[in-house]
Amino acid sequence: MKFLIPLIPLLPLAGFAVTGLFGRGMGNQSHRIAVWAVVASWLVAMVVAFGALTGTLGFGGAGTGITLWNWIPATGFNADMGFFVDALTACLLIVVTTIGMLVHFYSIGYMAHDPGRWRFFAYLNLFMFSMLVLVLADNFLLVFAGWELVGLCSYLLIGFWYPRRSAAEAAKKAFLVNRVGDMGFALGIMAIWTQLGTLNMQAVFAAFGSAPHDWQIAIALLIFCGAVGKSAQFPLHVWLPDAMEGPTPVSALIHAATMVNAGVYLVARCNPIFGAAPEVMVVVAAVGIFTAILAASIAFTQTDIKRVLAYSTLSQLGYMFASLGVGAWTAAIFHLMSHGFFKGLLFLDSGSVIHAVDGEQDMRKMGGLARKIPTTYATMLIGSVAISGVPPLAGFFSKDEILGGAFKNGFLWVWAIGFVVAGMTAFYMFRLMGMTFWGESHVDPEKERHIHESPTTMTRPLILLAIPAVFLGLLIGFPPESGLLHAWLKPVFEATIAASGRTETAYNFFGIDGVLAIATTSLVAIAIVIAWRLFGVSMPALGLKVQPRPDRVRELSARPGLAFLYRGSSNKWWFDDLYHQLFVVWGGRLAAAVFWFDRTIVDGTVNGIGVVTIGAGATLRRIQTGRVQNYALGIALGLIAMAVGYLIIAAR
Amino acid sequence: MSNSLDSYLVLSGLLFAIGTFGFLARRNAISMLMSIELMLNAVNLSVLAFGAFVAPLTTHAAVIALLVIAVAAAEATVGLAIVIAIYRNRKTPLVDEYDSMRE
Amino acid sequence: MPIGDSIPLVGVRWDDVLFVILAAILLGSALLVVTLRDIIRCGLALTVSFASLAGIYALLGDPLVAATEVLVYIGAISILILFAIMMTQTKNAPTRLVFQTQAWIAAVAAVVIAVVIAATVLTTTWPSGGQRLATSTADVARMLFSEYVLPFEVVSVLLTAAVVGAVYLARRDSSPGEEDRP
Repeated sequence: MKFLIPLIPLLPLAGFAVTGLFGRGMGNQSHRIAVWAVVASWLVAMVVAFGALTGTLGFGGAGTGITLWNWIPATGFNADMGFFVDALTACLLIVVTTIGMLVHFYSIGYMAHDPGRWRFFAYLNLFMFSMLVLVLADNFLLVFAGWELVGLCSYLLIGFWYPRRSAAEAAKKAFLVNRVGDMGFALGIMAIWTQLGTLNMQAVFAAFGSAPHDWQIAIALLIFCGAVGKSAQFPLHVWLPDAMEGPTPVSALIHAATMVNAGVYLVARCNPIFGAAPEVMVVVAAVGIFTAILAASIAFTQTDIKRVLAYSTLSQLGYMFASLGVGAWTAAIFHLMSHGFFKGLLFLDSGSVIHAVDGEQDMRKMGGLARKIPTTYATMLIGSVAISGVPPLAGFFSKDEILGGAFKNGFLWVWAIGFVVAGMTAFYMFRLMGMTFWGESHVDPEKERHIHESPTTMTRPLILLAIPAVFLGLLIGFPPESGLLHAWLKPVFEATIAASGRTETAYNFFGIDGVLAIATTSLVAIAIVIAWRLFGVSMPALGLKVQPRPDRVRELSARPGLAFLYRGSSNKWWFDDLYHQLFVVWGGRLAAAVFWFDRTIVDGTVNGIGVVTIGAGATLRRIQTGRVQNYALGIALGLIAMAVGYLIIAAR
Repeated sequence: MSNSLDSYLVLSGLLFAIGTFGFLARRNAISMLMSIELMLNAVNLSVLAFGAFVAPLTTHAAVIALLVIAVAAAEATVGLAIVIAIYRNRKTPLVDEYDSMRE
Repeated sequence: MPIGDSIPLVGVRWDDVLFVILAAILLGSALLVVTLRDIIRCGLALTVSFASLAGIYALLGDPLVAATEVLVYIGAISILILFAIMMTQTKNAPTRLVFQTQAWIAAVAAVVIAVVIAATVLTTTWPSGGQRLATSTADVARMLFSEYVLPFEVVSVLLTAAVVGAVYLARRDSSPGEEDRP
């Protein structure tokens, strides 16, 4: 059944080709080929994933490779076009193809009135192809190719509504910031090549111990650099909030569920590399958890509904990297999967809300929508509860494993910051719920009349996504640290975990693990209550009805210490301004100086040679007078010179 | 003095120099031709001087001098014909006006 | 009656006096040729220089060449030059500049040439006997038709060609439109 593996990326590629070439003429049927391609790819991926996870259907337990052809057969440098599927790949396949398929369904309704929808579906298919290549690749060069391609698709899709200037600039920003990370990744690949002589991932992992330790650290850092760019960690986090300029399905697919997970996947896949360099793992954990708290703090004050979710994504990605950094590999993948589902759900829900209020994205102009768009409201509530980490939904299990892993592996500071961030997450999510769905309606009266629930093409994916958001944790993560997922991913990570010298203590609810779990849940509960008090809640089924208190919010944010925090948070801690000053202003001046040099000195020299030649020619032209006597004088003078010279020489 | 070869040769050299000056400095084309005749005669003089003082060369010198005179005549003929033809075209005998080949 | 070898009482040899006089006339008329403003006078000075040259040739013991000089140069070439001067006269010829701008450089060059030649001549030891030898015309005639017969014939062809060429170059075109052109 190995032959099924290449089909997974090829079907969306075919969909892209057909939709790209013929989509314009297909009018409002242009989505059909694309959607069918993705559905077919999902079916094949499910079969392959099932086989890989259970070890049946011709897939080996330790991973199956299939080489399509020899891509670059240069002497001394060899790269194949090949795919590799093991349990980790299977988990990613499940997430990518399922959410991809549901987003495609959602987009049928969301983009129904957009004339460029054929382009949209073509790009979506291209993105699916790129992401699947990235996930399935068996050598670093192919991963890099997929890496760059997803960056390209991100650019195309963020800037989908390119006539809008902010969208075009956001697309450029995303691509450029990504590029910075990609540079590091490329250098890491080159370092791997020079040190180990091969780019095949399994071969690299097997031979990695033979590289000098300094090089191991360097390679690990460079690969992490790529992950920082793609997964928008500090300091390359600035592109993700701006990427919300793209249509909501794009935000859901790319910037919540798949592309930003590529960095996490890369680090998880390269766990032998990171395991050999524990110093780098500390860096990974530090960067991750710092991003988590930075993003959560900014999410407190954002007013655009998609921006809140974007910062939430940054924060959760930070959690994942922190988990990877402390050595809780499986927990990171678990959080990746559950986050993919409930963040995708939240984004699609926000798209539905925006659709309902006719394009308004500012939460201050929403409110009281609960009754009017019930399906959206229900699914969004489920998503918020999931992300806050309320048991027994998916978020609780995955987040708890991360924090437990941090605590037990000795990274107490990571645990402490993560603990605080869990509370912050709950707070800002319920702030969002309060401002959007509960309380009085601040909707523009014009739009208020037209508030309507989304069509079924949009609500059905919402419901379908809500199911794993609720049950995924119980399904694969329970009992904690010994559920299905751990069994699946054991062969991928066990070598690294054994090499790091830590022993996995069994989960003991009545020991430290239970204490941590209860502590986290309590903090979450407190945070939710505070959010309710400030932003209102209205859940008749639970008998809760509290009015929002904006005056209290204003008063709190005006207090001396808090005022600075409030300002910093709403200015995104001035990072965008810093980067603008550094790179745009100063970079622009440097570029102007170099341009001056090129124009004046380099071009001047080249042109100067021409000018000098012409000048010399014009001067020498004057010798040609056309008069015989002048020429004869020249002859006479030459003759005299020769004669005198000869005489002088002969006289010596 | 008349018995020394040197004086005849120096005389010939002076005549040649005068001819060169006239060739390079005068504006009229016919003056240039006259200067050329002077130079040819200077050469003739030196040839004959050698012939008069170096025994084996005596007859040879005379023959050479005769041939030089003949060639000089031919050259003067053609040169003057050319000057007349150019004069008919340009209406001036002054060589610094013959500059249609200038850049 | 025989004059004797040198002037009595002064002791200067006649040949030397003759040489000095002829040389002076030669150089003087040559200078006049290259410096006079009126070109006809230049032509006449040229004739005088030819005449003095003939005298010097005779002094060198070669009457044949002296006679040829008179016949050809004075008798033919000078006349030719005078005819040419007559045919190329312009009305305002005497009032314009005689010399070119480069005359000064030419003068310097001429002086340098003269000095170089004089220096070379005076510092070289020639294989001369110190006595003027006369040339016998019979020997010249014999040599002209035996050893130098080829150059002789070629020179005659050259003369023919020159004459034909000169006639052709200087002929007046008889097409009617030519004379009206400015």
